[in-house]
Order: sequence, then structure tokens, then C-alpha cells
Amino acid sequence: MHNIATDVATHSVESLTLSDNVIRLIINDEIHQLRVEPDWTLHYLIHDRLGLTGTKTFCDRGACGSCTVILDGRPVLSCMTLAIECDGKRVETIEGIAAKQHPLIDTYVKHHAMQCGYCTPGFIVTAKALLDRNPDPTDEETRQALAGNLCRCGTYPQHPTAVREAAQILRKG
Amino acid sequence: MTMAQESETHLPGSYQRLRADGQYRVGAEPTTIAFNHIGKRGERRVDGYEKATGKALYTRDMVLPGMLFARVMRCPYAHARIKQMDTRSAEALPGVRAIIRYDDPEVKGRALNGSYFAQGWARPKLAGWALKPVHLVLADEGWHEGQPMGVVIAADTEAIAEQALRLVRVEWEELPFVLDQEDALKPDAPVLRPGATSNEIHDPRKTFKFGDVEKGFQEADRVIEFQARRRAHLWAGAEMPSVLVRWLDGRMELWVHEQQPYHAKQLLAEWLDIGMDQITMNTVYQGCSFGGRGNPANHSENGMNILATLLSKRTGRPIKMLYDRRDTFFGESGDIATSYFKVGFKNDGTITAVQMKNIFAVYVAATGVDHLVENTKIPNLSCEAIPVDVSIGPAWWARCEHLPSCLSLTLVFDHVAAELGMDPIEVALKNDGNHGHDVSYLLQYMREHGFPERDSLKECIEIGKRAIGWDEKWHQPGARKLPNGKLHGIAFTWDHNWDDSRGTGSAAVMIENDGSVNIIGQHVDIGPNPWTPLCQIVADEIGVPFESVHIKPWTLDTGFALMSPDGSANLVANGAIVRKAAQKARRMLLELAAEVFEVACPEELDIQNGAIFVKADPGRTKTIRQVVTKAMPMHCSGAFWTQPPVLAWAWHAQGIWGQADETGRPRLCRQAHFMEVEVDPDTGQVDVTRVVNVNDVGKAVSPEAVEGQMYGGTILGVSRGLIEEMVWDPRTGVLLNGNLLDYKYATALDCGPIDTCFIETGLGHGPYGTCGIGEATPTIIPALLSPAVYNAIGKWVDDFPITPEKVLQALGKI
Ligand code: FES
Ligand code: FES
Repeated sequence: MHNIATDVATHSVESLTLSDNVIRLIINDEIHQLRVEPDWTLHYLIHDRLGLTGTKTFCDRGACGSCTVILDGRPVLSCMTLAIECDGKRVETIEGIAAKQHPLIDTYVKHHAMQCGYCTPGFIVTAKALLDRNPDPTDEETRQALAGNLCRCGTYPQHPTAVREAAQILRKG
Repeated sequence: MTMAQESETHLPGSYQRLRADGQYRVGAEPTTIAFNHIGKRGERRVDGYEKATGKALYTRDMVLPGMLFARVMRCPYAHARIKQMDTRSAEALPGVRAIIRYDDPEVKGRALNGSYFAQGWARPKLAGWALKPVHLVLADEGWHEGQPMGVVIAADTEAIAEQALRLVRVEWEELPFVLDQEDALKPDAPVLRPGATSNEIHDPRKTFKFGDVEKGFQEADRVIEFQARRRAHLWAGAEMPSVLVRWLDGRMELWVHEQQPYHAKQLLAEWLDIGMDQITMNTVYQGCSFGGRGNPANHSENGMNILATLLSKRTGRPIKMLYDRRDTFFGESGDIATSYFKVGFKNDGTITAVQMKNIFAVYVAATGVDHLVENTKIPNLSCEAIPVDVSIGPAWWARCEHLPSCLSLTLVFDHVAAELGMDPIEVALKNDGNHGHDVSYLLQYMREHGFPERDSLKECIEIGKRAIGWDEKWHQPGARKLPNGKLHGIAFTWDHNWDDSRGTGSAAVMIENDGSVNIIGQHVDIGPNPWTPLCQIVADEIGVPFESVHIKPWTLDTGFALMSPDGSANLVANGAIVRKAAQKARRMLLELAAEVFEVACPEELDIQNGAIFVKADPGRTKTIRQVVTKAMPMHCSGAFWTQPPVLAWAWHAQGIWGQADETGRPRLCRQAHFMEVEVDPDTGQVDVTRVVNVNDVGKAVSPEAVEGQMYGGTILGVSRGLIEEMVWDPRTGVLLNGNLLDYKYATALDCGPIDTCFIETGLGHGPYGTCGIGEATPTIIPALLSPAVYNAIGKWVDDFPITPEKVLQALGKI
């Protein structure tokens, strides 16, 4: 038995006992009921099975942060998370963040906090989780929060500017 | 004879012809347009939203209905041969759809083809896979651990393909191996190449001589000798390689992760013996690779494409072939070397002779002396570059082949300055010049070729000195301890900017019926924000708003291919291509407009901000849409009609790799770099606390793109110089850190503030006086760490990466 978060706008769901290997996930505010294999990672599920391809694998082994999604409010590495363990949880991916027009999208484009762009969704998801818990991070706090994300193109210097500006926009409402 | 005439006589034949055709340009080109978008900050980058929202698709993301997944076996030993292979269990595994073994008639004994490259200096034997002793598509012998070989398997899922590979039983014969390039030259080393007597790879380009070094040493007041070592590091790009192939009975489609798709198509067609017209080659976004996906003759590209195609043919299904992260640990940057230097100089810092020897591991694209030639008046230089076979993956250039050259330039100057106790800037300026000439040669060249006469290096140095506070901060080595107990170091190096003299390509500019503009031409974005500047150029050349220009770079089937970022030059070649095409399209549009406006000739008209108007009567104006749709109606079947859009295409040869001798163009844009470090004398940790880059970029079409390259290159440079190293087990020859947890590279915390200063002198050979920027900082910054650490601790650590252990050793603490 699992509790589904109750603040989903358009659905209200009875708690059910699901059969083996079936999980419920709220992905970007939509409820999914999914049959998963025990060895599927959350990344495999959302990228390969559900086609949410914004979540990338870069290192494939918990070293780079490009596969980051927000799981019940915390940024997690989806390549290191088993899908079957996420039953009843709420997942936010870059697609959901973009659909809500989070200001990070605009500020990342504006400040060129990207080059090839492969790592960019992972950075934005991590930054979004930071802003959710700290609406006014310093540059140093931002760097610390993003230190688990690798960018081979070396875009690190542009990120704090983009994050700070997004924070400002959010604070102004 | 003037210098201009002299350089003309040096132009190779094919370039003289191109020059006569007006395709190859020597000398400055006057700018004919007003800059509205070129050089403007704040233009919205054209790829930005797709990348930021996760909508940008990369090769790795591509899927086709019914596709299968393929994985290839990797050699588990440093050198081994398959005696027997049993694939029966793998074949029996449910979900396995095809297996191709090394002894399959379709691949047995068949080498990777590289014949396309067989002419000219860029032939495959100079670098990459082709340097390995044998290069079969599916070999029975592995020449390095991790080599793709033996068997390739297609299955319903990647996991099943992996599991099937694990079920393959192989009886291996382990063979002798050698990992270090100097060990490989010892008489008792096992000789890796069949039939050879030594591991030295012979190549005619390995020596360079200029002047007479012996005479130079006699003229010197002092002669020093030192050695340096650069250990293995690699590109390790963000996106793991993959290819998606669909065979269609003689015709085929591919989605590739390649920097040179056109060349890849040539090689694939040749290997499969099918027409190039049968191959549709598509590219999507690509995770950065900096040259790592830039040799289509390597197994990681051509081999992968061939094997995936064969599997698609056999199964009748689309095949997606994937590398995992471990598989990407091949293709070390081409500067694994042991270097020996002998330098003669006068007491005033004038260098009279440099003699160098570079012993490279599986690489020899550059000798390592080029930047001393191209940046100095040193009259006597000699360099011997010895490529050696060792049992590691083939090396290949990645951002960029000038790594050995930048290392030599920096080390030579900074060692001389240190010996004399002189400010290295003084030593640099004393020897500044080009190919044995002093700076007046460059100034005269500028004068005679229509360039502004500016001492680019001096300007860069002045800006950099001020930015970092050189005059206040520079001190004798080991002389400044900071309140935090760390040792402060500060260093300087310099160079020319390169990458303004290469590349060839074509593109079309199409003005659609609604007046919007498309750039059409296949192109790969490997990271440097290449498309925004092209749109800026086309917008200004035609006279339309930036927002109305778009680029369609996704397929080779349009027939146009921009210069891929393989030959380093990107904007300088592609900017010239799209400029020409835009100028032609504008001309066509104005000719049509002359009819519509009923004026005598197009010269009476102008276009600004998307509006066409009569110059003499600016009130008479029409939109581009009104002109395009009215100009050439094509009637068909009664009321239905269409009009052809305005389309013009152009090609351009920006040039060849090389210096004034070969190209007629000495490099005029220069650069200066400064760094501060803090070294902890107890732990040996080196922290880079500040980097100041000053680049003369000629003209910054997109200032943000320039800065992005300078930031990114600095991070990569620091990462390479301090952190990155591939480590092999000396006992087994197995790579120990083939993943991104153990092969570390720089994070957001590993480099202090970076200044990105640039000047715009117009001295580049690209359009509007541009020159390259992408390769400069990552190639120069690693070398700069050595004089920075020397200035901090008073001891040289010329063994890269400069790890804490080496610093402590230099300090005599361990
Ligand atoms: S792909 Fe998950 S952390 Fe790198
Ligand atoms: S933008 Fe290319 S890896 Fe970060």
C-alpha cells in the first residue's frame, strides 16, 4: 500500500494494492501506473520506456549528475535509482520544469550556461531543487550545489549567474 | 622580393588555382556591410531553448520501430589472440537476433578502410586507429585492452546483448605487451608490430630543422637541458557514442554521432561497396567531443558504422549500436610524450637555439615544435618526433593537436626566464617574431596585405598584466608565502591564435515565400554554439532581423555540408561560406525586387531590417515577402500556384593547416594568458585561484560564444594539467580507471575566477577578420600550470598532470 501525494490537480486516486512489479509514479504531475522489471533504473524507465529523453546518461554510474530528477523534492541520480523502489513517489523531470516555464530555462539560455547542452538538463534540474529549498543562494552555495554535475564543455562559470537571476525572478513573483 | 611575393611563391599548386578562382583569399577583406547583429550581445542563441528544456535530441536518444541493440566484445588483455571462440550459449539466449564472429566470411580479414585519407599528410597512418599494427573490423587479435574485436551481437535489449557477450566462451592466448613509450624502445622490449624490428613507427614527417642548432649553441652564453613528461588523458565527451542504422535492401539510413559525417559516408560506402547516393546520413545534436569523434577512419566511428550496418542487413531490423562509458576510454589526446629539451640563450634572454626530442605514444600528427616556429624569431630550431607503438588505445587529436607545441613554447620560455631570473614577459617579447623573423616581419605583412598594423601580442599582454596585477604580484620563485600558509605562484604564457586558415564546405541560403531565411547545409554542433553566429552573419548580409534566420543542419541529403568542426576551423570557414551564399541570395532578391519596383537596376535598392526600399526614395518600401511572392509566379492547374523561393548556394575553401610557408598567411592574432595558484606545501595540493585569458579574436561575431569557449577551454585546461590521467596496471596492462568516478575531471569547484578578455583587431584570416578561439585555452592552459607551480615552490614539476604527490616530491617531502 502506498500513499500517492494528494495535491495533484486533476486526479484523485484510491490507494490500491498493486500486483508485483507494478508501480505508481507521479511524473510531472501525471499519474503513471507502470509494470517494471526489478533491475530497471529510474533513468531507463523515464528515458527509454517513457520517452522523456531530456534526462541524459553521461557517466552511466553516479558520477555526473546529468540524469538528475527530483524525487519527492530531492534531487536524485536516476541512473543509480531502481524504478521499482520509487513506487508512490513524485518525480519531476526537465520536461516538467520546462512545461511550467521555470525562469531557469530563460536564464540558462540568456547567460549561455550551456555549450553542447548534453549536461544542461541535469544542471537545471539540480538548480531547480536548490531554488526550491533555498530561494536566495549565494554563488558559493550554487557552486556547491552544482558540484556533483559534470560538464565536459566547462560551462561552470556561467551557472551561478543564471541561477541567481532565476532566483531573483522567482522572488519577485 | 617583398614578403607578399615570397609567400605567394610558397603557395602549393592547388591553392594557387583556388586563389585564381577567388576561393582562397590571402590578405584582409574590407567589410562591406553595417553590423547590426554581428558582434551584438544578447542575441538569443538558436539552440538555447531546445537544449535547456531537454527537447534537443542527441544520437543516443534516437529510436526507430523494431530496433535492436548491438554491443561488441572488448579485448580483456593488453595483447592477446583468440585461439577458440564458442558462441553457442550466446546464440541460444532468448532475445539474441544476430551474431557476427571474427571468422564470419563477411568480415574475416577485412580491414577498416582509410584509403580516402590516403593522400596528403592527413593519411591515416599518422594518428588514431591506423597507427595500430593491424586494424580489422572484427579482429581475432587485440592490441590493447578494451579494443573492439571478436564478436558483435544484436539483441532485443541492450541488457540481453550484454548478457550474450558474457556467455561467449573464449580461449585466449596472452601475448607480450609494453605500456611505456620509452620502455618500448629498449632492446629487450617485445616488438608489437608483426615483422618489425622495433616499436618505433616510421614516418617521414618526424623531423624538423631550421637554421643550425649547433651554431646556435656556440653563440649562446648559456645552455640548459631539461625534460618533461605528459601522461595519458582523453576527450571523454559527454555523450557516449552510438549509431542508429536502418538497412533498406541496398539503400540505408543512419543517425550518426560524428564530426565528419560526409567523410564517414564515403568510408562506409567504400567498405560496403554501395553507391554514396544510397546512404542517407543524418545528424542530430551531439554531446561534446572536441575531436574525439573526429576521425571517421577510427574503429569507434567507421568500425561501429560498418558492424551496425552488417547486423541490420542480417536481421532486417534497425540496429542501435552503443558504447558504454568504459568503451569510451580510447583515443587518448595526442600528447602522451617524453620530451627532451636543450636550449641556448644569451644573458639578455635572447634564445639562440632550441633542440627538442619528443617520444610519443601511438601518435605523431605534430612534431611539437610548430609554435616555437610560428611565434618566435629563434634562428635555430630542431625537433625530432618519434612515434612509438605501445599496448594502449590509439591516440588522436582532441582540442587539439597543438598540445605538444604549446607545452614546448611555454616550457622553453619559462625555463630560460627562470635561469636568468628574468620576468618571462620580457623574455617572450625579446624573442617574439615569426619563423626566424622579428616582429617587423608581421607588421610588414599586415601593411602589405591590407590589415591594420597592430602589435597584437603587446596589446594582449598589456591588458592581461593590468587585469591580474602582474607588476605588483610577480615575484622570484618560492618567494611569497600567503597568510593561509600556502605558496603563491603567478605565471604567464603566450602564443598566436590559430584556426583561421582551414576548412572547406558549402551551404545554401534560402529565402522562403514568407520572407524568412533558412541556412541549409549539414553541420554538427559539438558544443561551441556554432549556429547562432552563422545566423547573425546571414541576417546582416541580407539585411533581415536575426529572428527571421534559421539553420537546417540535420542531413547530408540536402547536398550541402558545412565544414564540420573536425579540422578545427569552424566559424572562419562556415562564416565565409554562409556569407557568400547570403550575398548571392541578396543579389537575387534585389534583382527580383528591381522588377517589382520597376527600377533600372538592383543597385538602386537596399534592404534593411527585412524591408526593401528605393535608396533615393526610402518611402517606397516593400517587405521581402511581397517581393518573393510577386517576383516569379509559377502557375499550375488553374488557381493553384506556387513560387520558387530565392535560393543561392556557395562554397568556400578557407585553407589548409599550416603556416605562412604553406598558406601564404602568417598568424597575426595573438594571445596572452596569466594564472595564479596557491600551493599547499604540506599536502602538495595546487589550487588555481585566478586565470586571465586575453585573446585577439580578430572579430567577435558572438561575444558570448567567444567567452563560452574561453571559459570552457580554461576549465578543460586546468583539468588536464592538474587532474586527468589514465592509469594502467603495469602488471596486466589493464586500464584501471575507465569510468568517470576514477578518471576525475574538473567540477565547478576546481578553478577560481576566470577572466575572458578579448580584443578585436581584425587581424584574423576569417570573414570580417575573425580567427579561431575554441582550441586556444584548453591547449595552452595545461602548460601554464608548470611555470605557475614553479613560481610558487621554486622547483619545476614538468610531469603532467601535476599531482600533489609530484609537488611533494619536488619539495623533497616524500
Ligand atoms: S548518468 Fe547518472 S550520474 Fe552520471
Ligand atoms: S554543455 Fe557540453 S557537457 Fe556541459
